[in-house]
Amino acid sequence: MTQQIIEQKNVVLEVRDLYKHFFLHTIDSRCVKALNGVSLSVAAGEHVALAGTSGAGKSSLLKSIYRTYKPTNGSVLLRLDPETNVDLVSLTDAELATLRGTKIGYVSQFLRAQPRRSPFDIVMQAGIQRGMDRQTAKDAAAHSLQRLNLDEVLWDVSASMLSGGEKQRVNLAAGTISPPQVLLLDEPVSALDPANRESALELIGTLTSQGVAVLAVFHDIEAMRRLASRIIVLRNGQVDFQGSPTEALSNLEGVAR
Amino acid sequence: MKPVTAPDWVLKVENLGKVFGNLSTHGIANTGPEVGTSKDSVSGAIVAAWDVSFEVAAGEALGVVGESGSGKSTVMRCIAGDQVATSGAVKIRTTRNEQLDIFSLSAAERRQLRVNKIAVVYQDPAEGLEMNVTAGGNIASPLTAAGWRNFSEIRGRASELLNRTEVPLNRMDDAVKSFSGGMRQRVQLAKAIANRPPIVLFDEPTTGLDASVAAGVLDLIRGLLEEYGLAAVVVSHDFSVIEMLTTRCIVMNHGRVVESALTDQLLEDPHHPYSQKLVSAARA
Repeated sequence: MTQQIIEQKNVVLEVRDLYKHFFLHTIDSRCVKALNGVSLSVAAGEHVALAGTSGAGKSSLLKSIYRTYKPTNGSVLLRLDPETNVDLVSLTDAELATLRGTKIGYVSQFLRAQPRRSPFDIVMQAGIQRGMDRQTAKDAAAHSLQRLNLDEVLWDVSASMLSGGEKQRVNLAAGTISPPQVLLLDEPVSALDPANRESALELIGTLTSQGVAVLAVFHDIEAMRRLASRIIVLRNGQVDFQGSPTEALSNLEGVAR
Repeated sequence: MKPVTAPDWVLKVENLGKVFGNLSTHGIANTGPEVGTSKDSVSGAIVAAWDVSFEVAAGEALGVVGESGSGKSTVMRCIAGDQVATSGAVKIRTTRNEQLDIFSLSAAERRQLRVNKIAVVYQDPAEGLEMNVTAGGNIASPLTAAGWRNFSEIRGRASELLNRTEVPLNRMDDAVKSFSGGMRQRVQLAKAIANRPPIVLFDEPTTGLDASVAAGVLDLIRGLLEEYGLAAVVVSHDFSVIEMLTTRCIVMNHGRVVESALTDQLLEDPHHPYSQKLVSAARA
């Protein structure tokens, strides 16, 4: 197999002709086509927002990049350093596991934390996983939870006791502590009230200045307008349009109305 | 050099097979998931496991899932040496450059492996423990097998282990048969880690326990995996156990591995028809 190379210098994530088809063997072997040849790239320090109607393939794309879904075809190139890139699709499971959390992160809409673990512990462990020493991780976890206004009395209770919005903030704190070079965000603020949403969006906004490449799905146009440097509109599992927020959103509003 | 390399394996299973009875000429082709049976219709032999391969690294837990009769426990027992495999190899890495093929060892050497290299935690504590012996005595047995002779040192280590697995020390001199199910399981865990083996096999470690007791035992196992950096194999039909403890999984059906995947991928995007059925049943 020939080694695929990311051509553009500052691009850290490049998706090439990615397909994801689900074969539902339990339901008359039906085939559901979620992605039909998506190509896109995200540069370091760039925030790319994915837009499109529900079912357009936004979440499927994020999950296929992270390999929670196993892509049917295509490649996902991740730059590890200036000289090296790997195709996530062709790595073995054990190889991929070494990159998760450290080089590529995924913040879902829901906290998928292990049961009976405290918010503070979850966030701190995420920091340790990315190479922080224990004390630094502790400080950073405290800072991060404070920043997202998580009440201190909740820091050491079981995370499963938290409300939806609280869980979401824990999730975001864990995902953004010493952030990996590529961060996938799947509706990270969907359950937050306006005040908390504001501080969460502010936090996400600082990621790009740290050189993180962000690929995000938001359900509200306001967040996209504010954070995205570029918007990619998906339709039927394909890239329908991409451009600056102003261009893309006027295009999108045309579709939506 | 490859840009990304997985950590070196500590336990490697290669094309492991276990057949009960005599296989007929086409016995392998006539069994398995496609045929829908493990039984060789000609000779009546049972192909409990066939062509099973996987690797586990230190600090990593691999899940083995499948319904009862799929061959999960057979694979476990072959690795542990409780059963003699029909074919294949099980290798363990003892040092950086040294590997052992456990089927080439004598029975005595294999027993020695069980003392300090591979420990097993069984679903039924009666399999892993002497029920008439005290908790302390049960833990002393792997220690004496490893050469510990000083009574107070053994007792000291036993109480340290019981403390770690949260068994009240005032029960140390009671026979294990007087313990509750959850506490028996904790004694089994203490015994399993007594000599700090690099590999621990968990065979349905929480099945049959009350939900609250199972949760405590699971938390303890998770803590031990992290603290000791164990290479672990977790056999379970319970996806919540698999999700909590493992990063990768294999799915077994009629003695064969039908799918191997990252745990989150198996739960969200199972590929094999059998895995899809299994996951949808568990998630309904």
